[in-house]
Amino acid sequence: MNFQKKRCVAMLLAGGQGTRLYVLTENTAKPAVPFGGKYRIIDFPLSNCVNSGIDTVGILTQYQPLELNEYIGNGQPWGLNRSHGGVQVLPPYAGSKKSEWYKGTANAIYQNIKFIERYNPDNVLILSGDHIYRMDYAKMIKYHEEHDADITIAVRKVPMEEASRFGIMNTNPDGSIYEFEEKPKQPKSNNASMGIYVFKWSVLKKFLIEDEEDPNSENDFGKNIIPAILNSGHKLFAYDFEGYWKDVGTISSLWEANMELLGTDPEFNLYGDGSAPIFARNYALPASYIDTKSKNINCLIAEGCEVYGSVKHSVVSTGCKISKDVVLEDAVIMPNTVIEEGVIIRNAIIGEGCTIRSGAVIGGAFREGEKRQIAVVGKDHVIEVNQVVKPGEVI
Amino acid sequence: MKNVMGLVFANIYDSSLGQLTNKRTQASLPYGGRYRQIDFTLSNMANAGIRHIGIVTQYNFQSLMNHIGSGEEWDLELEENGLEFITPYSMGVSNNFRGKLEAIAAANSGYLAKGKEEYIILADAAVICAIKLEDVVNAHIASGKDVTVVVKSGIANGKKQLDLAVRLDENGEISDMAVDYAAPEDYLASMGMFIMRKDLLVKSAEECVSHNRYRFEREFILQDWADGLLSVGAYQFDEVALFNESTEEYFRNNLAIIDKNIRHSLFREGLTIYTKVRDQVPVYYGENSEVDDCIVADGCVLLGSAFNSVFFRGVKLSTGASVKNCVVMANCEIGIGAQLEYCILDKDVKINAGVKLIGTLEHPVILNRGDVV
Repeated sequence: MNFQKKRCVAMLLAGGQGTRLYVLTENTAKPAVPFGGKYRIIDFPLSNCVNSGIDTVGILTQYQPLELNEYIGNGQPWGLNRSHGGVQVLPPYAGSKKSEWYKGTANAIYQNIKFIERYNPDNVLILSGDHIYRMDYAKMIKYHEEHDADITIAVRKVPMEEASRFGIMNTNPDGSIYEFEEKPKQPKSNNASMGIYVFKWSVLKKFLIEDEEDPNSENDFGKNIIPAILNSGHKLFAYDFEGYWKDVGTISSLWEANMELLGTDPEFNLYGDGSAPIFARNYALPASYIDTKSKNINCLIAEGCEVYGSVKHSVVSTGCKISKDVVLEDAVIMPNTVIEEGVIIRNAIIGEGCTIRSGAVIGGAFREGEKRQIAVVGKDHVIEVNQVVKPGEVI
Repeated sequence: MKNVMGLVFANIYDSSLGQLTNKRTQASLPYGGRYRQIDFTLSNMANAGIRHIGIVTQYNFQSLMNHIGSGEEWDLELEENGLEFITPYSMGVSNNFRGKLEAIAAANSGYLAKGKEEYIILADAAVICAIKLEDVVNAHIASGKDVTVVVKSGIANGKKQLDLAVRLDENGEISDMAVDYAAPEDYLASMGMFIMRKDLLVKSAEECVSHNRYRFEREFILQDWADGLLSVGAYQFDEVALFNESTEEYFRNNLAIIDKNIRHSLFREGLTIYTKVRDQVPVYYGENSEVDDCIVADGCVLLGSAFNSVFFRGVKLSTGASVKNCVVMANCEIGIGAQLEYCILDKDVKINAGVKLIGTLEHPVILNRGDVV
């Protein structure tokens, strides 16, 4: 078949098991975890692709892919239902008799070389499925092409004292990378990799094949591919990104990122300047009803909710019922959860489809300066009448 | 219900809705925070498995077509001719249709003939309800009548002019029928929904039009029933049905969904109301906001106070502004300290800081699309 050429194909690594999100990813792949009232984490990189003019996206998934598959469907909500390109969920060795897990991030791309070749792209954009940010990849690709780079890695400045937690790119004044250090004890700079890479496809393909042949390789981008390309004298450039970016791979960072949506001038504005909307699968739900006795302050409430209680500094997702005399403070309530009368929830994440029976108390308040511990109730759980879920407890 | 097709009349009450239908059909009037009136009609049909729907529209139909598109929200794009707009010009009629019968006769050779369905449901977008049309069709077939009209009690009050009103005897048979009549309370009001065999409808419409009879209720249903040529049954609908046939009714009925019982009847399990999807962010309620008894759609930013009002998508309510008993359509902006009571703000209205507008329930202040006050 003769396929039209694509300038850039995006490959989204959605395979992470998300073990640090505990019960929230028990039956859900991390990218399918709800975020911000009506979104899933994967909506952010997917919408960035669409807003950057990238219309061919492969989603690499292996853990609990069912829900993710269902959510992505034919890609219509993102305008990715195309006859050539569009979005495709790529499980390990689809269509092959040999069934094998993706051994690592690089192996996941290796197993899909055929998918990428179909589009004969100049560049391949590698993305992670667990970051919340808004970014115009087109600008990064332009930078990549202008520098005739083999790899361009998006970096952001992190506080120097935190640099040892990240993959750090040490650069020359022209932006070229001379050294890559994974979680260095003594960091030389604070350019932290965001896990967003643009590769020249011809170069990436060669190294993927070589890497696959190396039995000692962990088949990982950060550990194997990037050092190998760097050490063989190729051109690597760092692309500075300024703006909100958050890895939501832990309970506390997921909670924090939700809280950072709040306020009249929030740290991350879901609406942005209106030019790069975040698309999501929308369900046919009526507008929300807000009762007289409710008191909603500094919060986000999505459609399809009925709110009779008080919601303060919280995010309430689509299709929830918040009964009367409920108090929500610093809480994240995921979609389709029912909270019965008199429940008090503070500093907590409540998963999708839960029922919190009357009088239950989940989480607690924290004094200024005290370390917050987020209580978590997993998807589809029922918390019984007057049950207590302690601060930081995970159910 | 593969054996039933739908025919929706989009312009029926345009003239009695004043400035609200200046630039749109009655069917595309916004309703309930995120819907257009026709969403209810189309969703009722789609939920009953109806896969072919014709929409008769005469003028101002740009916004209606934009809203419905290919009908994909109702899965109507899946089949050939799933959805078709029937306009006078596309049917070779050089003037406006003189009534529903002329539209039906004109559509006969085209859209109506394409479908293989045996039955047809006629509806307009003036009555907001969630109705299980399978029940209506089954009752119609079981009754053996030529036509079944869906009727609602409690609407006739001796004042409201009804298109078609019927009175039933103790056996549930129609004992009296009247058109354009302010019927007393013991009459039932037609919801503008009729079911019959398609071949009978087409034959009757053609015959009526050839005798210059164009008006469906008066010159076909009533006349042929009175002449003993047509048997007509009534199907009583027990759930909520809101008649939006005038500006005042439209205003009241928009606020009506704040009532839990009405809301829960219109949005019932298994009768999902579909509409065009828009990617709006969840609603933000500000630090000093006070929102009581309101319906709020996505994309709103509410920083002021609001009471007993309906907010469509993307409304900005500034700090210190107060909105009471209002219908605020999409993308309106209400400035700091503005005070609104009993108003209908059409889309994209901008109210400047400190402006005060007070209407009444009977005569709400109506601002046109894009007005700046």
